[in-house]
Amino acid sequence: MRWIREHKLIAGLLALLFVLVFIFTISMAFGGGNNSLTNLVNSGTNGVSGFLSSLGNGIRNQVVGIFSHGEMQERIDELEKENDELRRELAAAKLEESQLDQLKELSRLLNYDYIKQGYEVVTADVTLKDGSNWTSEFTIDRGTEAGITEGKIVINGVGLVGKVSDAGEGWAKVASIIDSGNKVSFKLSRDGGQLGIVTGNSQGYISGYMLDEESTVVEGDILLTSGMGTYPEGLEIGNVRTVVNNSNTLIKEITVEPSVDLNSLRKVSVIL
Amino acid sequence: MKYWKAGIIFLIAFLIQPSLLNMINIAGYTPNLLLCLVVIFSFIYEDEMYGVVYGAAFGVLYDVCYSQVIGPTPIALTVVAICIILAREYANIENIINMWIVSIISFIAYYLMNWGLHRIAGNPIGIVYVFGKVPWIILYSMVVITIIYLILIRKVVKHHRDRYFR
Repeated sequence: MRWIREHKLIAGLLALLFVLVFIFTISMAFGGGNNSLTNLVNSGTNGVSGFLSSLGNGIRNQVVGIFSHGEMQERIDELEKENDELRRELAAAKLEESQLDQLKELSRLLNYDYIKQGYEVVTADVTLKDGSNWTSEFTIDRGTEAGITEGKIVINGVGLVGKVSDAGEGWAKVASIIDSGNKVSFKLSRDGGQLGIVTGNSQGYISGYMLDEESTVVEGDILLTSGMGTYPEGLEIGNVRTVVNNSNTLIKEITVEPSVDLNSLRKVSVIL
Repeated sequence: MKYWKAGIIFLIAFLIQPSLLNMINIAGYTPNLLLCLVVIFSFIYEDEMYGVVYGAAFGVLYDVCYSQVIGPTPIALTVVAICIILAREYANIENIINMWIVSIISFIAYYLMNWGLHRIAGNPIGIVYVFGKVPWIILYSMVVITIIYLILIRKVVKHHRDRYFR
């Protein structure tokens, strides 16, 4: 006790560290920060941070707009041309109403959930990203009020983004595909018969293996979700970066570069 | 500076770190504002413990919001703040080079501790991946630290010291 009285500052700092280590231990024991405290703090900060995010977006767009007006005009012209072409292709490829009904009927008969039409999708803005620059979670501005719950799939215009890991009123946390908890069954885009499983390896990319040792997977192959498990079929995951033949296990191990650029995510969609 | 003023600065940093700052990132990298403030406040304020107090408080809030486990951020921030307070005794706080050296060492120590605590908590993230990003974060953060340092040091040091002053 006398030592504490004589060294108040050191004792105070040690006590503070002890409290923090205690919180850390309790947090690990009870499975992390997904609890009512998280809900309360997230609800409180999400409003302010959401406003700041939109403000930041606005500033960024204005600044980029000022410095790249000419480039943007060219890009708009290109996109308009592309849009016209796509419209023509779409018109040519459009199924007749009766054919579509037949396919829907067939889908119901087969009870094949992933072909089923009418997925409900909620669009959300990315409001918060962990500032540590290396974790793979981020927060969006829609939550349980929009029907988003834990486990829902998150996509964007490019492909698969991840899965909702936690949700509350007005917010949801998303674990991206590079998160090691996400296992995804895939098929090759050029050959739907070649299947495999990938998972995030927390190194900024994805790794996995082919189920068939005779697989012809090569660098540059594009991977799509196979539809087995929780992920709907046909979402782009990424392209194969390396292929290694493991002589011990006799399986082909691959590393994959995600298609989605997680650093520049602004908007995402959640499949309900 | 009064404690409530320092608290407001930390609160602003806490709010803009994951939102506004991410919108103005460079190649996906953003400065770690909370860490920048902890380093500067611990280094230049001799009598107050802003870095320790607010580092611990906002570190806990930060982990509550953005991390799977509560603890790595406040522990790492607090340890860094304490180490800077101890090291400050041997450094001239008016010399910006000392500020830079302390900042670089603090950032490396912080990310090493943060990574280690996340590993203990079960996160399999690799040290090579983390430290592949750290140099860019440090570089960006150093710019922010320099700006804040140049603003605050004029208010902290009213009279310049020489080697006979103590």
